[in-house]
Amino acid sequence: MPKVLVIEDYEDNATLFERVLSSRGHTVFQAPDGETGLQMAAEHKPDLILLDLGLPDIDGQTVASQIRRMPEVASVPILVVTAWPEETARKMIEVYGCNGYLRKPIEIARLIALVDSLLATPPS
Amino acid sequence: MASLPPTTDSPIELRPASAFSVKQLTIIYNQTRVDYLVPMPMNMARMIEYIQVYDIDLENSFVAMQDEKMIALGMLGVREGRAWITRLGVLPGDRRHGLGLRMMTSLLEAAERKGIQFTMLEVIKNNTPAYKLFLKLGYRDVGNLLVLRRPPGPPRSYPAGKAAWLSRNEALTLLDSRSGLPPWTNQNASQRNAADIYGLAVTLPDGSSGCLVHQRQRFVMSRFVMQTLSGDPAAVGRELLAQLHNRFFDLDTQIENIYTDDPHLPAFYEMGYVESFARIEMHRGDAALKDAS
Repeated sequence: MPKVLVIEDYEDNATLFERVLSSRGHTVFQAPDGETGLQMAAEHKPDLILLDLGLPDIDGQTVASQIRRMPEVASVPILVVTAWPEETARKMIEVYGCNGYLRKPIEIARLIALVDSLLATPPS
Repeated sequence: MASLPPTTDSPIELRPASAFSVKQLTIIYNQTRVDYLVPMPMNMARMIEYIQVYDIDLENSFVAMQDEKMIALGMLGVREGRAWITRLGVLPGDRRHGLGLRMMTSLLEAAERKGIQFTMLEVIKNNTPAYKLFLKLGYRDVGNLLVLRRPPGPPRSYPAGKAAWLSRNEALTLLDSRSGLPPWTNQNASQRNAADIYGLAVTLPDGSSGCLVHQRQRFVMSRFVMQTLSGDPAAVGRELLAQLHNRFFDLDTQIENIYTDDPHLPAFYEMGYVESFARIEMHRGDAALKDAS
């Protein structure tokens, strides 16, 4: 069963991710901030990380850059969640080594499609 | 976004932010930003740091209350001869009913009661409602600012000159020679108030030189103040960044509020920095103080 770590401080979105991903058979772990997210990534070694760029302690870019430096999870796909304009989001995911982005407000069909696609991609 | 009806007709009361806990201020701040393009949420530790580093005067900052519910926040930073409007936000369902204007008016009146006529602020580019509000209140554009990011990694070009790594006290001394009035976040007082400040001075083979004061924490470097003492700023900037990223290649970097016409900016792009978002800096009144202190 794929494990998905959701690093998201905004409760409404975190609940939505939990509901949608659980209903599709994924095991979901929730982290409300970046520090907790880094700890949980090391502990649970997820198959996919959903990462909000706006977090209350360390921001999403910094979390992504740290994940890419943790050998046990360095190649795990990261799906960024952001309200940023498309051009900025694309630039950020490219330079921070993330694998895709999901625009806010969340479209469930898009969420499912991206998660399925990233979980089907073998780690690089 | 469509205009929403006010949640209630009850009167709105503005109370000093000092009457609220840090936890309450953090909650209302985050709630007002939840639908922003760049929400920049904070936890309590970051809110405490923000208040301390930016000299936020909580007695003269306000929380708007309606039916005992927090619906808006506006903060005032106060330094000698100047004040700064920051963290201004209204809950999404309570916008477009004049509350932003009322918060701003109260903050400006609070500054004036302290004898301060000159105020500064930054607004995120394309936040048109806020920008129009500030124009209406007499603010004028004074500069365009960028927030830049660079992920960890070695520099694109390696150092060519000599570097001296400086302690906090040595680094803060470098700020004394600054001129001009930078954005509030980058003023000398902000650097002095911040933790984990260090310095770097470089001399290039051709004799040109410069220095960089910055904050270096567990995951991130930030709070850059870059100065060229002699030579071409782009070349000096390149050497400073090459030295820094060669030594601290494992740290993420965030540059807050660098002017788009800063002569060091090309060096940042050459070293792999990318634009995160842009702000407009605005002033109201005339600055009596013309240095960065």
